[in-house]
Amino acid sequence: MSLAAISSIIVFLVMFILVISEKFEKHLVTLSCGGIMLIVVFGAIMRDGDAIADTLNFYSLVNPNFWIGEAPDTSGIDWATIIFLGGMMVMVEGLSKAGFFNWLCMTLAKMVSYKKMPLFITFMIVSAILSMFIDSITVILFLAAVTVELSKLLNFNPVPMILSEIFCANLGGSATMCGDPPNIIIGSKLHYSFIDFVLNTGVIAGICLVVIVIYFYLVYRKEFSTSNEEIDYSSMPSPKDAITSKFYFFGNTIIFVCAIVMLITHANTHLSVAFIGASVALATSIFNIKHIKEILSKVDYKILLFFLGLFIVVGGLEKTGILEAIAGFISRVSGGNAKVMIAIVIWISAIASAFVDNIPFAATMVPIIKGLSVGNPALQATLAWTLSIGTDIGGAATPIGASANVVGTAVAGRAGHPISWGKYCKTAVPAAIIVVGMSMLLIYLRYC
Amino acid sequence: MEKQIIVTIGREFGSAGHEIGEELAKRLGIKFYDRAIVEDIAKHTGIDEGLIEKHDEKSRVPFLSRTVRGYSNSMEDVIFELEARFIREKADQGESFVLIGRNGDGILKGRPGLITVFVRGDIEEKTARVMEKYNLSKADALEKMKRHDKTRKEYHNSKYETKWGDSRTYDLCINSSPIGVEITTDILEKYILSRVEKD
Repeated sequence: MSLAAISSIIVFLVMFILVISEKFEKHLVTLSCGGIMLIVVFGAIMRDGDAIADTLNFYSLVNPNFWIGEAPDTSGIDWATIIFLGGMMVMVEGLSKAGFFNWLCMTLAKMVSYKKMPLFITFMIVSAILSMFIDSITVILFLAAVTVELSKLLNFNPVPMILSEIFCANLGGSATMCGDPPNIIIGSKLHYSFIDFVLNTGVIAGICLVVIVIYFYLVYRKEFSTSNEEIDYSSMPSPKDAITSKFYFFGNTIIFVCAIVMLITHANTHLSVAFIGASVALATSIFNIKHIKEILSKVDYKILLFFLGLFIVVGGLEKTGILEAIAGFISRVSGGNAKVMIAIVIWISAIASAFVDNIPFAATMVPIIKGLSVGNPALQATLAWTLSIGTDIGGAATPIGASANVVGTAVAGRAGHPISWGKYCKTAVPAAIIVVGMSMLLIYLRYC
Repeated sequence: MEKQIIVTIGREFGSAGHEIGEELAKRLGIKFYDRAIVEDIAKHTGIDEGLIEKHDEKSRVPFLSRTVRGYSNSMEDVIFELEARFIREKADQGESFVLIGRNGDGILKGRPGLITVFVRGDIEEKTARVMEKYNLSKADALEKMKRHDKTRKEYHNSKYETKWGDSRTYDLCINSSPIGVEITTDILEKYILSRVEKD
């Protein structure tokens, strides 16, 4: 193994350990490691200026096809993912400021007459549907907060509902390209559209959602079976009160709907996800010009910087041939058998994502999938859906597997309902095993 | 006492910081909060008392929790948040009190009427006190002291930029060993009353 390859592995491992140890802010870790990869590995060891230029990938930004048309095949920094994520964050902040999410949650609660069991089922489904279009962190942040609020008014334990919402948010996120960061990376790097995801992972997630709603119903039915006869419904907060301004509410909702329409049709319109992200960010910024400072200040720019550094480090592994070697190893172990490859990818992705952040894992696995399926686009697509389901659902299994889990359990804890690893895993691990197992069978049935 | 006084006491294990704080609260005629706030929080939130105690005054276990957008799901951080909220509520209500540990100096930083104290002790004195109190051998007492001080230091330093036991973190740092509990309390009482008068 070359010195460059060994150095890139060391940089990657150091980054990985520092990210999960949380000793330093993770965007600082990935950016620093990215800097080391560029200067030391590419510059000092490889003396390869082209590798640096390829990894930084600035030229893709000036390529017209990057915005409209067939996106160029690149490695290194995936600017499309970063721009799309940033744009969606701006849009979500606009929606949030207008009170959209609280309004939606309270409207749904009112629609089911604040009855516990229908509320439980509805919030699970809403969590999955919203997470198809909006990052699951935001979805859970609002759903968990409203759940805690309603639990006080309706006198129930919010923990089972929050745990179910978290799982469904992860499941819903796996259904679309923009539902979960691993999917954005997979879709953007491997050139799959929103509809490609819906027709593949979306179908699998839809079937699994039915099973999971039944599963959580059976697990928690006793918690929500008592009727709330003594509740004074007139004391319930009105959904209208959640709307801070009708003007901003409708305007931001229209931008949200436009974003969904653009995403659904982008395979036909050839608008790239980068274009969609930039458009919604621009539209939200112009429409909310009076509050733009407040909206932009709430955007989680650290996650974007985290991605930036991460892509450089993974680009280093790619350029030094490490990921190709891993792909070759998986190929040898599986003997080229697609079914074995699927089993390896889905279970390794699921188990790894349960314990480590699924974003770096997915970013690392995408080039491996490319390597496993050279000259076989059907296999590449199958492995892409497999990776998506594995990382998204595996991430739902433990309190640290995905960001939505962290936020949901933290909101519950702050409200006086701490959720231990044992309590979380008791229901989430069997649910994850059911979904991953079912998904593997569905993938076998449909693609093999 | 008309003016609100909040005294937070950080302490080395075995330095008699707890005893000093309790005596100080008695003399000043104000409330005394220590480990017992766990009971209050358990009663108020319905959380199992044992669970709070298990994670009380401890820093997060690495690799078993994460922080996203400022939300941490570490059990230690959750318990810290609940304790911090309890302490802030008491301060907001205008209550005067002496608080032992729990990062009180950091949680209440900047509040008018706050006096932050750190009590340390000489190793021989502390060891003798721990041996007697917990009926331990010298080696076990030393081990216990080392373990507790390490936990307290990590707990404090993981939350705030100021350092546990560093004189710049507190208004007053005092070694209780050469003068004993009584005189240490006298000095602290005088200091507090002088501060109240001056403010």
